[in-house]
Amino acid sequence: MRDGSLLLVLILLPFVGAVLAALLRPNARNTEAWLAGSVAGGGLLVTLFAYPQVSDGGVIRYVIPWIPSLGLSVTLRMDGFAWMFSLLITGIGLLVVLYARYYMSPQDPVARFYALLLTFMGAMLGVVLSGNLILLAVFWELTSIVSFLLIGYWHQNESARAGARMALTITGAGGLFLFLGLILLGRIAGTYDLDGVLKAGDVIRAHPLYSTVLVLVLAGALTKSAQFPFHFWLPNAMAAPTPVSAYLHSATMVKAGVFLLARFWPVLSGTPEWFTIVGIAGLSTLLLGAYFAIFQQDIKGLLAYSTISHLGLITALLSFGSPLAAVAAIFHMANHATFKASLFMAAGIIDHETGTRDMRKLSGLFRFMPYTATLAMVASAAMAGVPLLNGFLSKEMFFSEALEEHHETILDTIAPYVAVAAGAFAVAYSARFIYSVFFGPKPTDLPHMPHEPPRWMRFPVELLVVICVLVGVVPNLTIGPFLRSAVISVLGPDTPAYSLSVWHGVNLPLIMSIASILGGLALYWFLRRELKIDADGAPGMRGIDGQRVFERILVAVSWRGARIAESWLTTTRLQPQLRLVVALAVLAGAWAMAGSWHLVPPVNLHGLDPVLGALWAVGMVCSVAAAWSARDHRLSALILVGGTGLVTCMSFIWLSAPDLAVTQLLVEIVTTALILLGLRWLPKREGLPPRKLDLMARYRRGRDLLIAVLAGTGLAGLAYFAMLMPRPPSVGDYYLEHAYVDGGGTNVVNVILVDFRGFDTAFEIVVLAIVALSVFALLRRFRPAEDNLDRPFQQQEQDANDEVRRDREVGDTLKDYMLVPSVIMRWMFPAISLFAAYLFLRGHDLPGGGFAAGVTLAIGFLLQYLAGGARWVEERLRILPVRWIAVGLLFSIGTGLGAILFGYPYLTSWFQYVEIPFIGKMPAASVLVFDLGIFWLVVGAIVLVLVAIAHQSLRTRTRRSAAERQEAA
Amino acid sequence: MIPVHLVIAPILIPLATGAFMLFFEDREHRLKTILSLASVIGLVIVATLLVIRVNSGEGPAALVYLLGNWPVPVAIDLVGERLSTLMLLVTALLALPALLFATDRWQGAGPHFYSLFQFLLVGINGAFLTGDLFNLFVFFEVMLAASYGLLLHGGGLPRVRSGMHYVGVNLVASLVFLVGIAMVYAASGSLNMAEIALRAESMQGFDRPVLNVGIAMLGLAFLVKAGMWPLGNWLVPAYSAAAGPVAAIFVMLSKVGIYALLRLALLVPSDGIAFGARVMFIGGAITMVIAIIGVLAAQSMKRAGAYFILMSSGTLLATFGLSRPETTAGGLFYLVSSTLALGAFFFIVDVLDRERDGASDVIAVTAEAYGDREDVAEEEVGSLMPGGVAILAVGFGLLAMVLIGLPPLPGFLAKFAILTSAFGPITEANDPAIVRPAILAGLLVLSGFAGLLTLSRMGIRTFWQPVEPLSPRITIRETAPILFLLALLVILVIRAGPAMDLFRATAEDLHHQTRYLDAVFAAEPAPSARDGGR
Repeated sequence: MRDGSLLLVLILLPFVGAVLAALLRPNARNTEAWLAGSVAGGGLLVTLFAYPQVSDGGVIRYVIPWIPSLGLSVTLRMDGFAWMFSLLITGIGLLVVLYARYYMSPQDPVARFYALLLTFMGAMLGVVLSGNLILLAVFWELTSIVSFLLIGYWHQNESARAGARMALTITGAGGLFLFLGLILLGRIAGTYDLDGVLKAGDVIRAHPLYSTVLVLVLAGALTKSAQFPFHFWLPNAMAAPTPVSAYLHSATMVKAGVFLLARFWPVLSGTPEWFTIVGIAGLSTLLLGAYFAIFQQDIKGLLAYSTISHLGLITALLSFGSPLAAVAAIFHMANHATFKASLFMAAGIIDHETGTRDMRKLSGLFRFMPYTATLAMVASAAMAGVPLLNGFLSKEMFFSEALEEHHETILDTIAPYVAVAAGAFAVAYSARFIYSVFFGPKPTDLPHMPHEPPRWMRFPVELLVVICVLVGVVPNLTIGPFLRSAVISVLGPDTPAYSLSVWHGVNLPLIMSIASILGGLALYWFLRRELKIDADGAPGMRGIDGQRVFERILVAVSWRGARIAESWLTTTRLQPQLRLVVALAVLAGAWAMAGSWHLVPPVNLHGLDPVLGALWAVGMVCSVAAAWSARDHRLSALILVGGTGLVTCMSFIWLSAPDLAVTQLLVEIVTTALILLGLRWLPKREGLPPRKLDLMARYRRGRDLLIAVLAGTGLAGLAYFAMLMPRPPSVGDYYLEHAYVDGGGTNVVNVILVDFRGFDTAFEIVVLAIVALSVFALLRRFRPAEDNLDRPFQQQEQDANDEVRRDREVGDTLKDYMLVPSVIMRWMFPAISLFAAYLFLRGHDLPGGGFAAGVTLAIGFLLQYLAGGARWVEERLRILPVRWIAVGLLFSIGTGLGAILFGYPYLTSWFQYVEIPFIGKMPAASVLVFDLGIFWLVVGAIVLVLVAIAHQSLRTRTRRSAAERQEAA
Repeated sequence: MIPVHLVIAPILIPLATGAFMLFFEDREHRLKTILSLASVIGLVIVATLLVIRVNSGEGPAALVYLLGNWPVPVAIDLVGERLSTLMLLVTALLALPALLFATDRWQGAGPHFYSLFQFLLVGINGAFLTGDLFNLFVFFEVMLAASYGLLLHGGGLPRVRSGMHYVGVNLVASLVFLVGIAMVYAASGSLNMAEIALRAESMQGFDRPVLNVGIAMLGLAFLVKAGMWPLGNWLVPAYSAAAGPVAAIFVMLSKVGIYALLRLALLVPSDGIAFGARVMFIGGAITMVIAIIGVLAAQSMKRAGAYFILMSSGTLLATFGLSRPETTAGGLFYLVSSTLALGAFFFIVDVLDRERDGASDVIAVTAEAYGDREDVAEEEVGSLMPGGVAILAVGFGLLAMVLIGLPPLPGFLAKFAILTSAFGPITEANDPAIVRPAILAGLLVLSGFAGLLTLSRMGIRTFWQPVEPLSPRITIRETAPILFLLALLVILVIRAGPAMDLFRATAEDLHHQTRYLDAVFAAEPAPSARDGGR
């Protein structure tokens, strides 16, 4: 496997392992640990195996196409720098797995834990091995998500939930910005391939969008690496199980930010913007993190702030822009990972064995766990930068770089002072950790009696500490070559000459080191008493709980503010919505007309017939009056609407469209009747307060009137002018020519409806069917308002009258008050049915057709219901409207399908004239069957609505009588 | 059935099934379930065949079906081309799980659920397929009529109230639609979209503004359906009141509006820039802002889901408003992924809502506002979720990732596809053309962040710290639809390359409308069709 498929194995291993881990029994902790350990160990072996190919600037690549058209591919790429990180990720990962085996409680269902840990390992490997910018973004966000789940692993704890959410919010948001920045970067460079981008550094730095890209990329990197002012999520993430902290918050996840900075260092660094932003972030984080760390009472809190500070140090080094500083940064990444991981593990051991991490309670542990104490002390010394340990070497390099002039700004001038101060703080908090935990009097009231941890729980710490010492003493024999490979792969030809030796002679950096060590020890000496009893947090910062502030801001901005904005910008009321639609229609019309007003033809009122004009005036008055009276006088409004309908109907006749007129008339009748039946169930309007017209109401009405007038006149005017234009050749001409020749009907309207555009008709009736079904569904659940439960006023009046009169029983009048009309209505039924049949049959040649016939027959049924009541009708006729609808639909489908059987498209018609006895010569077209379907469906749909309304009274009556019975009992 | 007639099958299959089921009472639950599922599976198969057929490169780019066998500009035509067949497939793939989910308990909550569901599919499929403007209106009405019925399904005051508003606003929109059709017909003398496009090129005098007004009216009507601010106020109450499976299939409804807009806007002008592209972009951007606010302000998951629909509408409008083939392709990727994800999201919300009362959602926010750090001893032992909850939690997490746009799920890829093509190769400094992509990019990031905040809050409250212990009784018929959609999303990730090629080809077709016109005008009626009696 000398090719890149090695990388594929490396990256797939953890993900496959994660899936397996998730599938295991939740409590199989040994199996889980073995599985995770072998995955990490396997990864480590693969990494080691790959080294020869990446030393001295070699690069391994492996490409799988993903979305080639967008330049996105799964490009895995390993160079010396990525190799170093792979080693850290898999190596420390292996140690963490071993450590977690002993750390996690036996009761803990660890399947999820190991699955997540392995997923994280994979994601982190993905970040460092990505050879494509977008793939990098993919793994980057994946680390945020998995770290969220890991921090919130003990999600029954409030602090875990809050810490997890905060980490996700900050790093996730940073990732979104990074994503955008990477897209821009790729777009400027012309490729998303990392190698291509790394070569395009000059183009990118000279591009006007450089600073935008920089800010976006930094937003991702600085949030991830917990740089000031985004640092606060890291201390809160300490709610995670300690193995997670040791892994994510020392060696891997937070390192992703500085990894990114180093990765793009050749492309983005060296400009004043870079130095300013990165430098300020790095130096302030370095100083503040170290300062805050001194005052933490929780060991993990101290380590978290220390981590922040050390990441600041790396960031600051990268900001300088000099190759030597970059070498130091890369060196310190590795060093920090080793000593900080071991310290987190040591802190976990202390927590595990004593039950607390509070340094105010801990004391004198050296006598109980001398071995662990020694290890922790060595690691802390490395953290503080004590000579002969790895931390010293990289810090020394930092000091010498801080002294160098890079850019002539104030930032550069203060850098050495900041460096020494932060160094002193680091010594102070390290000393404090050692002294207060391991020395002093015997501890009192600890939850557990402390003792040494199990052998293999301590092993990872031992190993890491040994590495710290080895690197610190003989750097050139240990890390030297690996560091060199990493540095070459980042800096390429710019790689400077540098020396890793422990002793450089007495120079300024050494003096700075000595000063910071002595200063730090002195600082601790002064503060030691206060620290032992102090509250948590740095002075001046105690009142400010970063987490609360964060949450409050979130709630204020995201929720309260959003709710206010939502109530301002949206409405739940119907009227404004309708007004908006109409108003915007006016605006849209005006917008579309823009620039074309000169094309409007001259107004021409010649030929306006006075009679038609008068008719329309009546119609308009009716519609306005209907709107006027709709609120208080529903019945009159309904009648007026009917008036408008009749005018429409007459206009159709006037314009020689008898078909439309017939249909319009029938539809008018049936809708008016149905609404009349429904009026009974609307809430009562009696006793409403009279309209009050204050100023606002007047304004609203005026505005609405304006909108209405604009919409109406605009539409009318447009229609009028459009009709003045010479008519374009239209499809209508074709209909006129071909209706009889090809459609077999002299009634063009009918031929259009059932043949030319039969497809429309077929689905218009589907609409009718659906509406009927929906109305039925709605009314089945409908229960009228309380004030409608009483019988109508007129009926009560009649009954009261009956009661007074001696010769009448109560109810006598009501029983037959419609006697004469109802007899007529009953006898009308056969006549109406015959008329419907007549309309149906003549449809293809003369006004009529299935729709008109159906409405007619439905009117017949309606009259029966009016005459006899629902019960009377349904005792005598089989009313199965849903079935009729179904029959109608299937008829119409069947007609269409018939054509397909003969190999023609759906709804292709066929016709022939046939002789039928008594009736005469009839066009027997296939469309007749189709029309029959329409007929059945229309009848069914209207009757279904009718039934739904009619059954209201039955239902209320039963309910009322039930209530009455209850009252009587 | 011979392949020619395959184009009409997506309309006829659900129509016949829906009509046939009317013969049976609602208590014949098993029969109706089988029939409905058979119909929807049939739709999936037909749509797949159509997509393969249209993209196979054999024969014409579009399958044109002339109804009634009349010649081209006269006949109502169905056009199965890349975009419409793609939409058919997405619809079918969403309808299948929605139906399966509904069979578990929602079907009994009101009469004729199964038929209405099939009729809704008739309307949606017809709207995608038709090449005739008035026929489009008819199918819109079929769709809306069925959706009125489905929205009311299950009853209850919120449904009736929001349903009433839904009906009101959409009826007015239909009226505007009709006015638009009348104007277009007046100006062009045709209802056939291809014919209109052809005639629009050589239109003189006052006909031109009349056509423009007509198309503006049509656009307005479509924007109402798509939910663009401020026309989309009805959407959130209606969708959040609808029953779970209904809300899931409604996700497709808003896409129909966008589809129609896209089709029409690109069909009319000839220079490749969509009609009213600027309006689409601005409206889409504002809609995104509103959706971001709404997502942040949402207390209940359902409401958040409804705002996510609005967000996807806004994103699509803004993306299509850029009017470039590459971004349109990215938009299509987004359309498919967000539709599938939102569908599954509504399933999960439906199961969860059954278990909790609304109070816990309110507590989630107030707890965040005032803190609820009870000083309970922190326990450092993990807890195990019951299997049902774990499925829901994982599903919720994955869908949240899609909706936020987190990698590696399709939401992320879609945003990438949109942004990388929106920016294009950036060579020129201070190019004014970068303003709109920059706005879009900003809004996409912001919408992702808003989603992250809201969904993490909801997820944590629901799964990590339920107010009452969560033990949903979730059945296989409810789990399977969620898993099915998740599987589709995963496939979309793995096969992102071929999928993107498909979307690209689709977008290219869309932006070169001559391909559509050529296909339509090349269609010939079946020979000697009129021999019957003439």
